[in-house]
Amino acid sequence: MDRQEFTVKEAQEYNRSSPLRWIISHVLRYPHLPLGMALGTILANVLMSYSRLIIGDAFRWVTTPQPALGDLLELAVLFAGVRLAQAVLSLGSNVSVEFLAQRLERDCRDELYRSLLGKSLSFHDDQSVGDLMARATNDVRQINLMASPGVRLIFDSLVGVVVPIATIATIRLELLVVPLLFVIFLVITLKDYTGRLNPVADAMRRQFGEMNSEVAESISGIEVIKVNAQEEREERKFYEDAADFRELFVERGRIQARYLPLMVYGAAFGLALLHALGVYMRDPGFDVGNVVSYMGLVGLLNFPTFISIFTFTLVEMGIVSAERILALMTTETELDENEEGFAKRPIEGEVRFEHVTFGYDEDTPVLEDVSFHALPGETIAIVGETGSGKTTLTRLLNRVYDVDEGCVRVDGVDVRGWNMESLRSQISSIEQDIFLFSRSLAENIAFGVGQQADREAIERAARQAQAHDFIEGFEEGYETEIGERGVTLSGGQRQRIAIARAFLADPGILVLDDSTSAIDSETEDRIQEAMFRVQEGRTTFIITHRLSQIRWADRILVLRRGELIGQGSHEELMRGCRAYRRIFARYEEE
Amino acid sequence: MGFILGGLDSEPYDREYSDGELVRRIIGYFRLRARSMTIAAMAMVGDSLFGAAVPIIVSQGIDVATTSPTVGRIGALVAAMLLLRLLAWFLNYVRQAQSARAIGDVVLALRDDAFKAVVNHDLSFHDQQPTGKIVSRLTSDTRDFSNTVDLTMNLFSQILSVAVIAVAAFSINVRLTLLIWAMTPLVFAIALSFRHLARQATRNARRVLAKVNANIQESVSGIAIAKGFRQEQRMYEEFSALNEQAYQVNVVRGLTINTIFPLLTGTFGIVTAIILYFAGASALEGVRGEGGLLAIGAITVGEWYLFMQAMGRFWFPMTNIASFWSQFQDGLSAAERVFSLIDAEPEVVQTDDRAVPDLEGHIDFENVRLSYTGEEIVLPDFSLHITPGETVALVGHTGAGKTSVARLLARLYEFQGGQILVDGMDIRTLDLIDYRRHLGFVPQTAFLFSGTVCDNIRYARPEASRQEVEDVAMRVGTEGWIEDLPQGLQTEVGERGTRLSMGQRQLVALARVLLNDPAIFILDEATASVDPFTEAQIQEGLELVMEERTSIVIAHRLSTVRNVDRIIVMREGRIIEEGDHETLMEKGGHYAELYETYFRHQSLEYVEEMRRPTS
Repeated sequence: MDRQEFTVKEAQEYNRSSPLRWIISHVLRYPHLPLGMALGTILANVLMSYSRLIIGDAFRWVTTPQPALGDLLELAVLFAGVRLAQAVLSLGSNVSVEFLAQRLERDCRDELYRSLLGKSLSFHDDQSVGDLMARATNDVRQINLMASPGVRLIFDSLVGVVVPIATIATIRLELLVVPLLFVIFLVITLKDYTGRLNPVADAMRRQFGEMNSEVAESISGIEVIKVNAQEEREERKFYEDAADFRELFVERGRIQARYLPLMVYGAAFGLALLHALGVYMRDPGFDVGNVVSYMGLVGLLNFPTFISIFTFTLVEMGIVSAERILALMTTETELDENEEGFAKRPIEGEVRFEHVTFGYDEDTPVLEDVSFHALPGETIAIVGETGSGKTTLTRLLNRVYDVDEGCVRVDGVDVRGWNMESLRSQISSIEQDIFLFSRSLAENIAFGVGQQADREAIERAARQAQAHDFIEGFEEGYETEIGERGVTLSGGQRQRIAIARAFLADPGILVLDDSTSAIDSETEDRIQEAMFRVQEGRTTFIITHRLSQIRWADRILVLRRGELIGQGSHEELMRGCRAYRRIFARYEEE
Repeated sequence: MGFILGGLDSEPYDREYSDGELVRRIIGYFRLRARSMTIAAMAMVGDSLFGAAVPIIVSQGIDVATTSPTVGRIGALVAAMLLLRLLAWFLNYVRQAQSARAIGDVVLALRDDAFKAVVNHDLSFHDQQPTGKIVSRLTSDTRDFSNTVDLTMNLFSQILSVAVIAVAAFSINVRLTLLIWAMTPLVFAIALSFRHLARQATRNARRVLAKVNANIQESVSGIAIAKGFRQEQRMYEEFSALNEQAYQVNVVRGLTINTIFPLLTGTFGIVTAIILYFAGASALEGVRGEGGLLAIGAITVGEWYLFMQAMGRFWFPMTNIASFWSQFQDGLSAAERVFSLIDAEPEVVQTDDRAVPDLEGHIDFENVRLSYTGEEIVLPDFSLHITPGETVALVGHTGAGKTSVARLLARLYEFQGGQILVDGMDIRTLDLIDYRRHLGFVPQTAFLFSGTVCDNIRYARPEASRQEVEDVAMRVGTEGWIEDLPQGLQTEVGERGTRLSMGQRQLVALARVLLNDPAIFILDEATASVDPFTEAQIQEGLELVMEERTSIVIAHRLSTVRNVDRIIVMREGRIIEEGDHETLMEKGGHYAELYETYFRHQSLEYVEEMRRPTS
């Protein structure tokens, strides 16, 4: 069990040592289902073969000296009964597999989801949401498809080859020659076929994805294409993509057309007829009924030959998907809950960075030798160009990442020594992209405190955050739904909801990342006021483009390519820091 | 897995074209590949005939065996059988390979036509269509469209083999054949009612799956907040409930779909038993040479065998024929979506294609009237004259028509009245591509294409040398903004430029314009702020670009409005004030109001005044 930030009690454990073992351990949760499938399939195939013997019996009946119509009726009824039973059994087998497949999908998704919740924030920072979604949707579905129809059909084909051949052996051992030869050639040609098809099919999928993303890009940039008069170039580029895809499509068509197993089957069928008639001629004990039964049984081999075109691909794709899901789940998460760690409530909010160096990979440090000291209740503005390490610096505070060198202390204790729950619950972040859940506004504000918040407290927080008025402006007030089903909020409104959330959670340390603020905001004064208010009484780190927020911070950190090139109050920096002066310089000229 | 299961999850779609029209156009595309299609069709006919002949030969074999077996006759039969199988395989190969080639070519031609149409559609078209929808029409719908061809080919091949068997059967015994045909309604009833149920279940499954996926997406996107506030347990419970619900619905769907084959084979078994009995009785007649109890008409033992085989070759193609129509409709819908993409009428129409000489940069809007929808008028009567080299800022509330003015000048939309002149030439009479080469346009969100910074700077002039690109890049920004990029000019910008910061993207977009050295520069300033350091750089880059040419800026930044030659104040599509910053401020009109709303907080006075409240 890897280290987790979140665990569910009494959760089912699975074997994650290899994709195959993992799938098997999932399957074995419900051993009766694969058993049901196996039994159902085998019996259904036996009955199917038996029905071919019955037809043979009917043909034998007509050649007997005194055939009575009543005997034929008996055979016909028997035949109908056998076929009905066969249908019921194969339905049973299908149902078993279907339950298994759907449960596999459900359980894998559940396991993946739990695992995702348990991963550290640094893990989530590295993952693109699109990629995670692909695994949680397509790959999980692929495992379902691998079971049904994938494994079901493969098993069915396997049994569908073995049972008829075994039945042929009961008619006459010598008749096995053609079917056995057929099996050998079938295996060889199938292997050859999949070996040819798979690389082309893979290339096709990739090319299709590429074509899609290039088209999407061109269309999103249509305005730029037009004003730069580059239509022709884009057309050419697309044509090349589409033509590459066409080559692969035609190639795949050619490979599929040359499906040799069908020819093998055709030859086997002809030779089987030859063999049967040959035996019939030289051996009086071998009658028309035997010929018909035998040919009927050989006919059963058609289905496995035909269906194998795509079953193997399904299983292969399922295994690849399992691999991808496993890779995600077994990624070690670097940090853990540290339940025995230092805990203290309320936090004072004193923060000290001591010679902190940190990089996402070893060679390129994002922060180098950063030291500063923030007193409880101070507001620290962090300024610098994009990519200078501002956001990274704040993420070392609540242990999204851990430092490489030096240390970060909160209330005098190294953050690595803190109990994770105690530390994180007292440090709130308002991110650049403010994320709101598709629920009511009230629930979004109360999100941090779970169900405990009453309406009065929520409204108080909203008032402090200057959000109350616009919320009341909506028809349904605090019950207004956000997102696809509800209203869309402007950037400034989202920000104030997030600030209200922070008021309610009342953290000792607040990180406010305001770096995508819109200039075009009619409520600038209100946002500024909400921001000043929320800073009161807590240590606040603020990344902002608003000069007024920088101007009036207690302390300003100036970062350039990961180095702290200046710190102090506005006045101190105007005197001593050239880079800082430049921000305000363009105003002074006027 | 049989095409009775095909196309279950397609969406219903409102049709605008008639079936006949669509089919005619599809055929039109295939006419390009007439040779491949003819070969494929002929091969298909042969394949179906030969395939249907197989049971006939076996039945002959049985007759020979039960009556007068000789080595020669049996040998000939078997040889014929092997030859037939081989030929059938070969014809199937020809058919599939040829149709893959034809379909590949047709899809390519269709995609090419559709993409060309899309790229050349007006911006008003793109404003109305979400990107994802266009993409799926271009890639997925064109692919689904090709299914109609496969479907149709298969349909004919199935009908042919059913027909051959039917003819053979009729020639042997009419009553027995009619008995088989009597089963047809049963097949259709099963196949169609099943499809109806399965489609329902599939829709439900898709809907609930979308819910689960939305839940996961939201959880993953909001994970930082969930973790920050330690709400994992609650989120897990919500997910779990949905996941369970999805399971229930999916099981229903799976069971529905898995019922069809056992149901069909079970029914088929009973039907076969019936034929076994009746045909057996006829065979008995044939063997005894006298009228039997049932008096259906005598047949031979081999013919009996043929009837047994005919059942199978009749039953399963019939299920497919039954479900052909609804799938064919799905394919037509896909084709229609693509055709309607191609057919959308362009609104921007040039009346002439005059070549554009070097421009000085006179711009005249004369009584221009613009309405996007025909009802709501964006610009009622807009006139504006700009002299060469002048820099003009457009200001106003959202919806005042600023962006429309800029886009009209770039000829991205059609206008309904008046005219727009550049150096005295009506822009509707110019060669559009040529004209746009003389414009530099930076939209609000600086859009970059994936590729390197260098590729993006020379986007409008691919032939520009490396040195030129470097020079321009150096000029546009200060203090080594290029060195700040991980690989300098060779840095990959990522999809849509996302690997660069907003500020860097704007610098690249400015460099792109500067390299092209247009006579007229149009800038829609970003409303999102960038960090104060980059802001200073962009300001310098902008001044450089605007210096030498006629410029129109939709202004959102205080430093811009302070520096331009003339500010045009717009409200509801009309110019209500103009002048420079100082005069307009003194006047105390609409501009002063706009200043309070948009620009004041960017001023140093505001910064000083916005002192932190001491409480």
